[in-house]
Amino acid sequence: MIAVKNITRTYGAHKAVDNVSFAVEEGENVVFLGTSGSGKTTLLKMINRLIEPDSGEIRIEGRLVTEQRPEQLRRGIGYVFQNNGLFPHYTIEENIGIVPRLLGWERDRIAQRVTTLMEKLRLSPAQYRAAYPNELSGGQQQRVGIARALAADPPILLMDEPFGALDPITRARVKKDFKELDELRSKTIILVTHDVPEAFELADRIFLMDGGRIIQEGSADDLFDRPATQYVKDFFEGQRYIFDHFKNNKS
Amino acid sequence: MDQRQSLWDFMHQQSGKLLQQTIQHIGLTFISLLIAILIGVPLGIFISRNKKAAGTVLGVAGVLQTIPSIALLGFLIPLLGIGPIPAIAALFLYALLPLIRNTYTGIDGVDPGVKEAAVAMGMTATQRLFRVDLVLAFPVIMAGIRTATVINVGVGTLAAYIAAGGLGEFIFGGIALNNTNMILAGAIPAALLAILLDFLLSLLQRTGRRRRRTVLAVLPLGVLLFSSFYVLPIGNSRLLAGFTPEFMGRRDGDIGLREVYGLKVRTVVISDAVMYKAIYDHKLDIISGYSTDGRLKAYDLVTLEDDKSIFPPYYAAPVIRNAVLKQYPELAPVLNKLSGRINDSIMTLLNYRAEYLNQPPDRIAREFLQAQGLYQPPRNGHKGIIRLGSKIFPEQYILTDMYAMLVRGYTDLDVESKTGLGGTKICFEALIHDQIDMYPEYTGTALLAILQAPAALTARLTPDRDSVYRYVSGRFGKEYDLTWLEPIGFNNAYALMMRRSQTQQLGIHTITDLTNYLSEPQVRWPKAHHKPFPGDGLHSDRKTIPGGTTK
Repeated sequence: MIAVKNITRTYGAHKAVDNVSFAVEEGENVVFLGTSGSGKTTLLKMINRLIEPDSGEIRIEGRLVTEQRPEQLRRGIGYVFQNNGLFPHYTIEENIGIVPRLLGWERDRIAQRVTTLMEKLRLSPAQYRAAYPNELSGGQQQRVGIARALAADPPILLMDEPFGALDPITRARVKKDFKELDELRSKTIILVTHDVPEAFELADRIFLMDGGRIIQEGSADDLFDRPATQYVKDFFEGQRYIFDHFKNNKS
Repeated sequence: MDQRQSLWDFMHQQSGKLLQQTIQHIGLTFISLLIAILIGVPLGIFISRNKKAAGTVLGVAGVLQTIPSIALLGFLIPLLGIGPIPAIAALFLYALLPLIRNTYTGIDGVDPGVKEAAVAMGMTATQRLFRVDLVLAFPVIMAGIRTATVINVGVGTLAAYIAAGGLGEFIFGGIALNNTNMILAGAIPAALLAILLDFLLSLLQRTGRRRRRTVLAVLPLGVLLFSSFYVLPIGNSRLLAGFTPEFMGRRDGDIGLREVYGLKVRTVVISDAVMYKAIYDHKLDIISGYSTDGRLKAYDLVTLEDDKSIFPPYYAAPVIRNAVLKQYPELAPVLNKLSGRINDSIMTLLNYRAEYLNQPPDRIAREFLQAQGLYQPPRNGHKGIIRLGSKIFPEQYILTDMYAMLVRGYTDLDVESKTGLGGTKICFEALIHDQIDMYPEYTGTALLAILQAPAALTARLTPDRDSVYRYVSGRFGKEYDLTWLEPIGFNNAYALMMRRSQTQQLGIHTITDLTNYLSEPQVRWPKAHHKPFPGDGLHSDRKTIPGGTTK
């Protein structure tokens, strides 16, 4: 589905992403885990060309991302921001409907799609569709951000610390509703986070990043039980309790 | 109360002119605003995307903003001539900075998270600009438009100096004519216009985000509509006259020309500073000049004979406070040394040296006094200080310098010069409020602008130079405790001037010739249209009787 080969991006002398290659299968949920400055967000933004790599290539379904006009490419990829990035001058309905409108959907179809998504994300359409983002709580705004990314039903969803700005209780609620979305079943999701439990919770596969490189990839078990380097070991140190918690919940 | 009443009367009388000037003012403001928006907003957008250019563009616009408005007009006249084009160009340049800067700041201030989201959603650059950046920057851009509008309304008054019309015609006319009502009739509407436009634009600025897109579409249309208000004064198009704001409002000026001679000519209002150059450059055909002006010689102009004597004599003489004469009795004989020494042609020559050869007034004054054998080196006395005032044109500077040299050379008094005191009103007010001790004044100006003698009296006095001098010096003594010393000799009267070549070509030598030339019908209309309505004259006569006889 997504194949990344030898991409590098430098800022001055600093290599933000250093010769990274990986592949993501269709319907797979992968998490890029790392501290801030590890290059994970830069990597994510290169997939929909918010940032262009200095070298290397990225293919989606075999096609180079540079073969399409960037606008065209981005309309086919959902994107969720840490700080929601909602348009303050658009209503909730207009915010969710941005990409369908760019794609030229009919009015009724957009309205219907907005209603469906709002209900799924537990935002009362009657109450909120004509509201503006600043009238909503942080958790509600993030729900709108997720609905906006899903609106045109893109096959790929990129998520940049989507729950990072929320308080723990709100985060748990939004995450719970997010996980229950049937919309996500068929989607290829790449999520970026620094939060180890979140990675355990959401990932089929985890890429641990440091210094612009992928240090180790694999399931939570792999990373936990067979750390490739001392850094990986240190990174998961003290997370044993949480790891067991998720493992028990899964089995 | 009385003042307010008469201001209202003035505005009522002049309502036609006032309306025309207001409309011209709105038109000037908005045409230049429109051009500034069309250029400033795109430039602001450009530099918000090319930050390297931002410093240069904002710097240049900032420098333009700091040029004093009169100076900017001065720079533009050689390039663009006179009339609305340089006026609009100047206003446009002033409106540019607030528009560029606010567009730039507004777009720059949009939340980067929102901007990135717009990119990530797949919006094109144009979609981002019109759906996100401009809409969110709207309040800041509107603030820039408001600033630019208020600046334009204010600076727009200066358009009257270069024949572009507007409310400045009343303001500068009023200052020159010592007519407070006239000043206020221009200044109050200008101030109200600024407040009103600012208020209306503030309503637009506060529109909700939802309706902003509508406002963005409608605003340019509104600006365009207001721009179309500017209509050039039209009339007889055979010759174009340029009169100073002062001349426009005087009975010994445009009013007298129309009433006594029946002169009908297309007229623009213009500052005397640019008037001579404009007629020389064939931008104008007739101007209201001063008969001793040095540029008369420089630009080969001739004055038309005032065959119906509407221009009273303007003999110059020093006007001085009686208190000073009493305190320093030696002063009057010294100041009178100049009496009878300078006739019209000598004064024209002295003015020519100042205005055209750009010689400093003190050098002209000293060389003249030396040639006349009147010059004495300063005695450096400390007995007291005489404060000399002058109006803001070269002739007054030269005379003031001569008086300063005479006082220093013949008495133990010192001199303090306060030159360049705007117009008649400013000089005279300074004198009666004890800010200066003397300045050179002209008999005609005193009669009409200061004493505001009634029309009948003016008509009676006008033909005789001595009777005007006796009348003004008598009333100045009684009413203001001022003395008119002996006349210097020359008569700097108002005069109509034309290019010598054109007068020869058209055979015009007097104002009556000019009137006849202009009233020759260019197109022959059927007789019936030409005939005055029966009883028209009678009716208009009756109107001049206060209270009317119809009661």
